[in-house]
Amino acid sequence: MLEMTLDKSKVQEFLRLLGQNRRLFAPVKDRMGTKFSEVADPSLVCLDGLNTNLSLKEVVFPQWETLYTFEEDQANEVKLAAQETLLFGARPCDARALELLDRVFTWEGIDDPYYLRRREKTCVVALACNTPGEACFCSSVGGSPVGEVGADALAFDLGKQLYLRALTERGEALLKEASTLTEKATEEDKQAVQQAAAEAEKQLQPVPIPEDLAALKESFDAEIWEDLGQKCLGCGTCAYVCPTCHCFDITDETKKGVGRRVRSWDSCAFSLFTLHGSGHNPRTTQAARYRQRVLHKFLYCPENFGEAFCVGCGRCITNCPAGLDLRAVLERLGSLAKVT
Amino acid sequence: MTKETNEKMSGDGWEPRIIAFLCNWCSYAGADLAGVSRIQYPPNVRVIRVPCSGRINPLFIVKALQTGADGVLVSGCHPGDCHYISGNLYARRKFALLKSLLEYVGIEPQRVHFSWVSAAEGARFAEILGKVIDSVRSVGPANKMIKKFEEVA
Amino acid sequence: MNQVEETLRQEVAKLLEDGTIDVFVGHEAASLPLKTSPCFVRSPKEVDRLVWNRICTSNLATYLPQLFKRPVGLKGEWTPPKVGVVAKGCDSRSIVGLIKEKQIPRDRLFIIGVGCEGMIDRHSVGRALGVVGLADAKVDGNSVQVIGTDGREKRIDIADVLAASCRECQHREAVLSNLTVGEAPSSAPEVSHYANVAEFESKSPQERWEHWVGELSRCIRCYACRQACPNCYCEECFAEETAPKWLGVTTDLSDVFVFHLGRAFHQAGRCVDCGACVAACPQGIDLRLLNQKINKDVEELFEAQVSLSLEEAEALSSFRMEDDQSFMTEP
Ligand code: SF4
Ligand code: SF4
Ligand code: SF4
Ligand code: SF4
Ligand code: SF4
Repeated sequence: MLEMTLDKSKVQEFLRLLGQNRRLFAPVKDRMGTKFSEVADPSLVCLDGLNTNLSLKEVVFPQWETLYTFEEDQANEVKLAAQETLLFGARPCDARALELLDRVFTWEGIDDPYYLRRREKTCVVALACNTPGEACFCSSVGGSPVGEVGADALAFDLGKQLYLRALTERGEALLKEASTLTEKATEEDKQAVQQAAAEAEKQLQPVPIPEDLAALKESFDAEIWEDLGQKCLGCGTCAYVCPTCHCFDITDETKKGVGRRVRSWDSCAFSLFTLHGSGHNPRTTQAARYRQRVLHKFLYCPENFGEAFCVGCGRCITNCPAGLDLRAVLERLGSLAKVT
Repeated sequence: MTKETNEKMSGDGWEPRIIAFLCNWCSYAGADLAGVSRIQYPPNVRVIRVPCSGRINPLFIVKALQTGADGVLVSGCHPGDCHYISGNLYARRKFALLKSLLEYVGIEPQRVHFSWVSAAEGARFAEILGKVIDSVRSVGPANKMIKKFEEVA
Repeated sequence: MNQVEETLRQEVAKLLEDGTIDVFVGHEAASLPLKTSPCFVRSPKEVDRLVWNRICTSNLATYLPQLFKRPVGLKGEWTPPKVGVVAKGCDSRSIVGLIKEKQIPRDRLFIIGVGCEGMIDRHSVGRALGVVGLADAKVDGNSVQVIGTDGREKRIDIADVLAASCRECQHREAVLSNLTVGEAPSSAPEVSHYANVAEFESKSPQERWEHWVGELSRCIRCYACRQACPNCYCEECFAEETAPKWLGVTTDLSDVFVFHLGRAFHQAGRCVDCGACVAACPQGIDLRLLNQKINKDVEELFEAQVSLSLEEAEALSSFRMEDDQSFMTEP
C-alpha cells in the first residue's frame, strides 16, 4: 500500500487541494477542546487536540433529518443525494465506530438509505494518537490508538511531518490526488511510525472488559445497577457524545397542510424512551435505564453484531455530569461475573 | 411547502399577522362589543378565546412566534375585575418577565403586547388593536423564531 | 483529609447508626481529576466514601425527590425513607424550593449545612488547558496544580477557575439545616450581583440575538442542563410533550430557542443560580445568562428573592395589586 510523508508546513495546502471537490470535515478548536466540523478554511484545522469532544457520527448520522415530507394526502420523497466528504484527522476510535455503525444500518441485509447515502461518499483519513486522552481505553475494547479499522488512510504525526498510509483503494486514490505535495516514506519514517505506535499503546491503562456474556446476562438483577442508576441523571449526554450510539426516534411535524417525518437521536437514559402509547413504561427506574445502556453495548450488541459497541473513546466519561465512569463500571461488572 | 411562507415573505403587500389571546369575560366580550357596535378594526388579528389571562401559558406566546405570528396580543380584565378574582394579577407577573426575556434575547419588543380591556370597552379594544398593528408593522415580518420547514439534504 | 470532611463523616455515621436517617446523600471522589460524583451512603461503614472539597459542584437537591417517590409497582405499605443530605448555600435553597413545591417532605429530611468558599468549574480548567485533556490535578490551598495530557504542568489560582455562580454567590451558608459543619465562609462575593446580565443588557438587540443564535446552535438537546437542575423534576417535560406538541425534536434553532426560553421561564422565581445546568452542559453553554436575567427582573420588579425561607411565597405564585405595569401597551 501507498506510504508517504507530508511536510507539516504543507498540510493546509494539502487539505485545500483535497477539499476542492468534496466537503471537508476536520477538528477545529472549540471552547470544549476541539470539535469535528466542516471547514472551509484549512488554516483553522487543529490536529494537536485529543479526540473531539463530540464524536463525528453527526456527519453520517445527523442528529435529525427529514425522512419524507407530506402535503395534504401526498407524500414526497426527499432527495437522497450526498456530496463526497472527507473526514480528516478522525481519531482511530471514531473511524472504528463508523465500521460498527455500518453494521447497524445494514443489519440483516436491510440497508438504511439515509445513512448509506452519506456513508458511501465518506472517505476517512484517521490520525493515530500519540497521546491518549484522560479517559481513553480503546485498546481494551479491541481498538488501538493506531488502529486502522474504518479508515481509508491512517496518518501519524511525526513532529515535522505527517506520515500517511493508504488502507483502501479509496484512500489510495485520495492520497494520489495530492501526490505533488507528498514524498515517498523512507525506511526511517516507517521506523519512527512503529516507535510512535508502541509509545502510544504503552500509555493506555488496560480496563478489564467482561466478555463472559452468560455472566453478564446473570447480572441483570444485580445490585450494581441500583447503585449506579441512583447517580445517573437520565440525560442524553453519554448517548449523544458516543460515536457508536445509534438509537433514534421518529416524529411527525405538521403545519397547516404540510408536514414532514423526522428522525432524531434518542437516548435509552431518557425515561420516556420506553414509554408505550398505552402509558405503560417497562423501564420504571433509572437503574433499569442505565443497565440498558451498559448491557446494550456489552451484551446485546455482541449478540447481534458480534462485537461490543464501545470503541473506548472515553467521551461518556469526560462528559457525564454525574461523574459516572464506564471503565469503573466494567471493572465492577467483571468482578461480579467472576464471583457468580 | 413554501406556499404559505411565500405569501407573507413577499415584501410589498405584507400585512402583519397577529394572534390575540383574549379572556372570555372581559377582553373577548370587549372585542365582541366592538364587532356588534360596528366599530371597524383591521382584519390582521386572529382571536383565541381563553377563560382567563391567567390561563395563558407563556409558551402560547412563544409558540405563536415560532409558528409564524408577527405579533401577539394578550388581553384580560382590568386588575380587580378578574372573573376568577386574581388570575390576571398572577398573569401580570408572568407577562412582565416574559416580555423582558424575549427582548433580552433580541426579539423585538414591538411584537409582544399586553392590555386590559373590559367588556364595555369595545371602542378601546379597536383602538388598542390599531396601536398593536402599527407597532408590529414598524418591525416588519417576523423572522427570528420562526420554524422553517425546508427539508435537509 | 480536611476538618469538614472528617466531621461530616463522623456526623453521618452517627445519624445512620442511631436511625435518624436511612440514607445520606453526599459527594464522593470520581475517577477523573477535579470531578466528584453523588454518593448514597446507607451504612455507617461506608461513610469514608464521603468527601468535602472544592469540587463538590453538583447540586444534590436534584437527587432528593426521587428518593421520596413510591417505587412503581410496589404492593402494600411503603414508608418514605429518612434522608440526610449535605448542603451548600445553593443546595439548601433548592431544598427550600422543593419543600415548598411539595416534592420533598421537610420532616423526613436531615440537612447538614456546610459553608462554601465557592466551587471549581471544571470547564474553566479545561479552557485553561486548551486542546489537551486534564491528566491529573491537585487542589492545594487557593490554587490547583494541574497536569495536562501533554505532560505539561500548570498552577492555576482557584479564583480564576471558580464557577461563575460562586463568584456572585450571596448565600454561602445553608439557609435551612438541622446541623452545620465547619466554619462560616470568609470570602465575600467578588463580582457584583448580575454583572453579567447588566453587561449583556447593554448590547444592541442585534448583538443579543446573535449571541443566542451562536450559543444555542451549539446545543445538542441532551437535556443534561434540565436533568441536573433541581427544579426540573417534571415527569414529562414540556419539551417532550406530544399533546400539545410545543416544539419539534430537532436542533433547528427555532426548536432550541423554544426549549431554552421555555425552560428558563419555568425557572422564573425558582432558580437559585447553583450553576448545575452550566456545569452539566457538554457544550459549555452559559445558560446562567438566561436564568439570571429572570432572577434580576424578579428581584427588581417584585422585590423577591428565590427560596431563602420556607415562609415566603415564591414570586410567581404571588402578586401585589400595585405590581409594575409599565411593560403593558395599554394597562
Ligand atoms: S480512544 Fe484510542 S484511538 Fe480514541 S482518541 Fe483515545 S487513544 Fe486515540
Ligand atoms: S451522561 Fe451520565 S448522568 Fe447522563 S445519562 Fe449518561 S450516565 Fe446518566
Ligand atoms: S460507550 Fe463511552 S467510551 Fe464507549 S464508545 Fe461510547 S462514548 Fe466512547
Ligand atoms: S423545563 Fe419546565 S417542564 Fe421541563 S422539566 Fe423543567 S420545569 Fe419541567
Ligand atoms: S446541556 Fe447544553 S447541550 Fe445539553 S440540552 Fe442543555 S444546553 Fe443543550
